[in-house]
Amino acid sequence: MASTSMRQFRAMLRKDIVMELRTKEMLMSMGLYSLLTMVVYFVALSQAGSSFDPRDIAAGLLWLAFIFTSMLGLNRSLVHEKDQGCLEALLLSPVDRPVIFFAKFIGNLIFLLIVEALTIPVFAFLFLQGNALDSGALALIPLVLVAGSVGIAGVGTLLATMSVNTTGKDFVLAMLFIPLMYPLLLGAVTATSAAIIGGPEGVAAFWTGMAWVVGYDVIMILASYGLYEFIVGA
Amino acid sequence: MADEQHSAPALEVRDLTRAFGVRKALDGVSFDVPERAFLSIFGPNGAGKTTLVKVLTTLLNPTSGTAKVLGLDVVDDAVEMRKRIGLISHNPLLYPDLTAEENLLFFAEMYGIEMPEARVAELLEAVELDHRRLDLTRTFSRGMLQRLSIARALLHRPEVIFLDEPYSGLDPHAMDILDGLIAAVRADHTFVMISHDLDKGLELCSHALILARGRLVLFEPREAIDDSAFRRTYRETVGMGVA
Repeated sequence: MASTSMRQFRAMLRKDIVMELRTKEMLMSMGLYSLLTMVVYFVALSQAGSSFDPRDIAAGLLWLAFIFTSMLGLNRSLVHEKDQGCLEALLLSPVDRPVIFFAKFIGNLIFLLIVEALTIPVFAFLFLQGNALDSGALALIPLVLVAGSVGIAGVGTLLATMSVNTTGKDFVLAMLFIPLMYPLLLGAVTATSAAIIGGPEGVAAFWTGMAWVVGYDVIMILASYGLYEFIVGA
Repeated sequence: MADEQHSAPALEVRDLTRAFGVRKALDGVSFDVPERAFLSIFGPNGAGKTTLVKVLTTLLNPTSGTAKVLGLDVVDDAVEMRKRIGLISHNPLLYPDLTAEENLLFFAEMYGIEMPEARVAELLEAVELDHRRLDLTRTFSRGMLQRLSIARALLHRPEVIFLDEPYSGLDPHAMDILDGLIAAVRADHTFVMISHDLDKGLELCSHALILARGRLVLFEPREAIDDSAFRRTYRETVGMGVA
């Protein structure tokens, strides 16, 4: 049974990646949106006074961009399945619903991480250039990016499945997704901010934020896993 | 008839109700269909036909009542049941950004089919699409999509085949292919078909069922049906002309 589920998981993930590489719909829309957000931030903050230190708000700006960007991709990942009734065909097959959840979740996570990897150098160039940074602490940033993205992709996959059959799916997803992101945002911003500021205190604060994010991930992924069958069968 | 009476029912539906909020799309529907029967389901739009098929194919849970397909409960034995049923819908249920072959190989993986390449090649030939196997299905005509959809539904050799208005939008050639495929497997399979076409539905069926406003209006074996009386009942009950 486990090998059957793994075979189904791999097939679904491969299918999503092949389709995305062909259409580039998610990566293009998320990537462009994320980069445009950076430009908007840059223009909006360009008139800040000389005492303004972008490091103070850099983490918040970054995670806001990722949260809003992810909503674009999450909706599209399920719209693909709704096209021509594909989700129905998938649900007709003898695949456990949690396998569908994990395949969609990992696919969304991969695409989100790719977009984040493209965005961060641009963000660093626009906002952190010329600031003294602790390279040791900065090396911790990939950890919080992955942990935060796991939460975004996991919760987002569940909510996108719930909202895909609704008439105002973009609105419904936003209304459900953003409030549920508050706890994650708090931990991720704390950890990222600490890594940007650096120093021994920064590293300690980083791990506090990380603990918050990992705790959120565990609780929300387990809840999403448990609820997915109910959501798709309702 | 004697065989039919002694075989286990392929479908057992008891007091089946499915509500969406306060509206009952299915309201206390009960009937049995023997194995290797062909059930045609008639009714106007909104009668509950698609909801009935969605419950019988495990896509929707019933609100109350029970339904069994091949002795398997649609809720408790859903995963096992899905291995033994197939659905051909008026929607193709195919990924437009995958090729014909990729679509079938993907669903073959979902059903755990051994040596999927050989089965896919066999079915692509059967639906006369082997020459287009490497083309994206978004480039296919309606008829070609429906033929590929038939291949997808038959991949795992289902014992019960559900057809949701399968002839809708098909060109004559695609209709002939569908007729041929149904005829080829008719003797060994149970079919459940939703149709708005009384002539076609009555031509194929061994049992006929009329739904209106979620309720069972008529359920009879074909030999007990007088065509003109059936059409009259359909018009009177449903309140619409015969298609």
